[in-house]
Amino acid sequence: MSSKPATAAIALDPLEPVPVLVGRPDDRALTESLVKPLYAPMTRGWKMLVTALAAGMGFWLLSLATTLVVGIGAWGNNIPVAWAFDITTFVWWIGIGHAGTLISAILLLFQQKWRTSINRFAEAMTLFAVAMAGVYPIIHLGRPWFFWWLMPYPSTTQLWPNFKSALPWDVFAISTYATVSFLFWFMGLIPDLATLRDTAPTRLKRTIYGIFAFGWRGSARHWQHYRIGYLLMAGLGTPLVVSVHTIVSFDFAISQLPGWHTTIFPPYFVAGAIFSGFAMVLTLMIPARKVLGIEHVITMKHLDNMAKVVLATGLMVSYGYAMEHFMAWYGGNKYEAFAFLNRWNGPYAAIWYVQLVCNVLVPQLFWFPSMRRNLVVLFVASILVNVGMWIERFTIIAVSLTRDFIPSSWAMYTPTWVDWGLLFGSMCTFGMLFLLFLRFLPVVPIAEVKELRRELDHHDAHAAGQPAHGEGTP
Amino acid sequence: MTATTFQGGRRLITMAGAVGAAGLGLTALGGLADPRQALASYLVAFVFWLGIALGALILLGAFHASKARWPVVLRRFLETIPLTLPLFAVLFIPLALGMRHIFSWVDPSGATGELLHAIEYKRPYLNVPFFLVRAAIYFVVWIAVATLLRRWSVRQDTEGGHRLTAWQRRLGTGALPFLALTLSFASFDWMMSLDPRFYSTMFGIYWFAGSFLACFAVLIIAAAATRADPGQFGHHLNADHVHSLGKFLLAFTAFWAYIAFSQFMLIWIANIPEEIPWYVVRTDSPWGRVGIFLAVAHFAIPFFLLLSRDLKRNPRRLAAVAVWLLVAHFVDLHWVIMPRIHEAGPHFSWLDLTAFVGVGGVALAFLVFRMRGVATMPVRDPYLEESLRYQPQ
Repeated sequence: MSSKPATAAIALDPLEPVPVLVGRPDDRALTESLVKPLYAPMTRGWKMLVTALAAGMGFWLLSLATTLVVGIGAWGNNIPVAWAFDITTFVWWIGIGHAGTLISAILLLFQQKWRTSINRFAEAMTLFAVAMAGVYPIIHLGRPWFFWWLMPYPSTTQLWPNFKSALPWDVFAISTYATVSFLFWFMGLIPDLATLRDTAPTRLKRTIYGIFAFGWRGSARHWQHYRIGYLLMAGLGTPLVVSVHTIVSFDFAISQLPGWHTTIFPPYFVAGAIFSGFAMVLTLMIPARKVLGIEHVITMKHLDNMAKVVLATGLMVSYGYAMEHFMAWYGGNKYEAFAFLNRWNGPYAAIWYVQLVCNVLVPQLFWFPSMRRNLVVLFVASILVNVGMWIERFTIIAVSLTRDFIPSSWAMYTPTWVDWGLLFGSMCTFGMLFLLFLRFLPVVPIAEVKELRRELDHHDAHAAGQPAHGEGTP
Repeated sequence: MTATTFQGGRRLITMAGAVGAAGLGLTALGGLADPRQALASYLVAFVFWLGIALGALILLGAFHASKARWPVVLRRFLETIPLTLPLFAVLFIPLALGMRHIFSWVDPSGATGELLHAIEYKRPYLNVPFFLVRAAIYFVVWIAVATLLRRWSVRQDTEGGHRLTAWQRRLGTGALPFLALTLSFASFDWMMSLDPRFYSTMFGIYWFAGSFLACFAVLIIAAAATRADPGQFGHHLNADHVHSLGKFLLAFTAFWAYIAFSQFMLIWIANIPEEIPWYVVRTDSPWGRVGIFLAVAHFAIPFFLLLSRDLKRNPRRLAAVAVWLLVAHFVDLHWVIMPRIHEAGPHFSWLDLTAFVGVGGVALAFLVFRMRGVATMPVRDPYLEESLRYQPQ
């Protein structure tokens, strides 16, 4: 092999045209470029965005307050449609959260280097999505102030939750997920919090970052413990990627309702969750990487790979649709068959077609590399996917309920302003939390990107046929 | 590195071929006396071995789709496994000829009540001509994908360059949706339709989960078996390769359990008359003990063993767990298929053994035969060197 310079060697691989890190910035340049957005003054556009989202958050709080004061009569729910916007939005948010856990845990175990630059971002998104999701099962209880009755504890009345009900399963699934996601995210932050403690311009910031950095000094011992802990967290996080949305799918699949009860729900819900989660990461990341000026760290390679994940999981979702439809006929149960025909030509058929376009057709664009690398296409497609995934849950949950076994018990569902407020307000609240995150914490794991740079150096040296620095040490 | 063109395996081909032919011959003889039992035993063996070939094809496609570099060293073996698919197309003929003995929908004359109703309702799908046409479509898709992927890979041994890698990646990725659909419908046709009343949207994934796991088990066993032979891929795997294969074995042990549990739990808890009889036969009879055995042997024992890092890095011990999992997978398929003809409880027939050895023997002989004449590793794959150097942080 020839001994070309290391940087030329990567460009030589025609199958990997896009780099995972643009250039080879040194440690100092990386730190500076990644902490800069945290110390820069707020721009006018930023303040306007915060104001707008705060208004939306106000709408959300108003809708929540109305729900608490009036009760769930403030919603459009009825009998038979006892679950509608509220549970749809719950499933949608918790699904979105899954991308963060997949990136942080499963891609770590799969030794995917590209995860390094985006895992913090995706994990933060997970946390906020889970925070949003957690609200909805609680408020749907009717008397949410008794939500703690769902916990199994030895009360004097000896009343225990019914473990055959999916509701207590959700309590465990969501609370475990929130805890592990938070710990994973926070643990990954510690070395970077120490960096902020050491670089922040004001004493107040240094103190606050310093408290949360837990005395991190970056010693070899610290790093050793950190690496072991991080790997263990990844091991714990991995089953959660699958289990949480599996439990959510059980909420429906354990019933006997046509459209709800089908055995493919667990893996199909998990695929749908990852599908919508990656779409949400794309929606947020495409503008954020530009505004924060970190396009050299979160490159087209990351967006390209995420688009591929969207395609792969979108195909799995389509496979789920295909299996459901085939079995609705093959099974020979006329109620089940009707539930599916009702999607195609019932009163809610219009949104069903939107769902098919968004979830089945739009991802097919990503077979083409040019589409995966076109920011406008990526951005629009990522939003459409999440529109489609929200509709999917609405179709499964509410449309199935509107027409069950007995035509005399059928009823249509119309959302009220409170329903809409709880949906759109939650998006604004989520956006608000995200802006706070972008403002106060490093979006990209600084320490890990530095490590990535060293690995790339090592790899380049190998590709160029030169022994890398430190070669031979384990 | 001494990756040579493989010319050996003569003894293995002869022995495996002879044992396989004897097994198939004995099964055929048994079929003269008891065609129902012989065909059911043969079907278990057929879907067991065929599933491994399909699992290998899907894994190959997934490796290409994810541009995986670490498994390049074992890819030649992996892409040769699906080359046995034409053999399975031939081995399908006895099933096609004898299908009326085990598929009750072929001849519903004895059927009554719900069974008759289901058979009549499903006639547009469950009828002999369409069944055969579908089988032909499955095999055409599988054989085409397997042949092309391997042909391009072998061509790269002389041509080199990146172009053929790009071709393989495109086909490997693009084939995955078709492989998923054909595998699923094959499982509906060949296993689920044994009871025309039963249906489960998860069924295709259930067969896939077990077969994919079995494919990793076969890779691990082959790697351990060829460790001493410097011309074979097993010799060139380092501890990290073995470790990664072990991690996949662990992951898909859990995946199988996840799918099996979800399917069972959802049908058990909903307890609706269309679905539950399938599980009633398999749980509320002595077959239930086999179900419990599966929970322990197909999940609990291998799962906890495979958590050990040392075990996953030790090729011999890992291969022992892999053999164990293959046995468990066989029992799983037996438990899925056999209650069709033995409703009262497990019934071991010597035909189970002859069919298993028969199909497996000829498949192994054919596999080794197809390995001959080409290099044992993709010698000019642009990522072979990187794969040999595989050392994750």
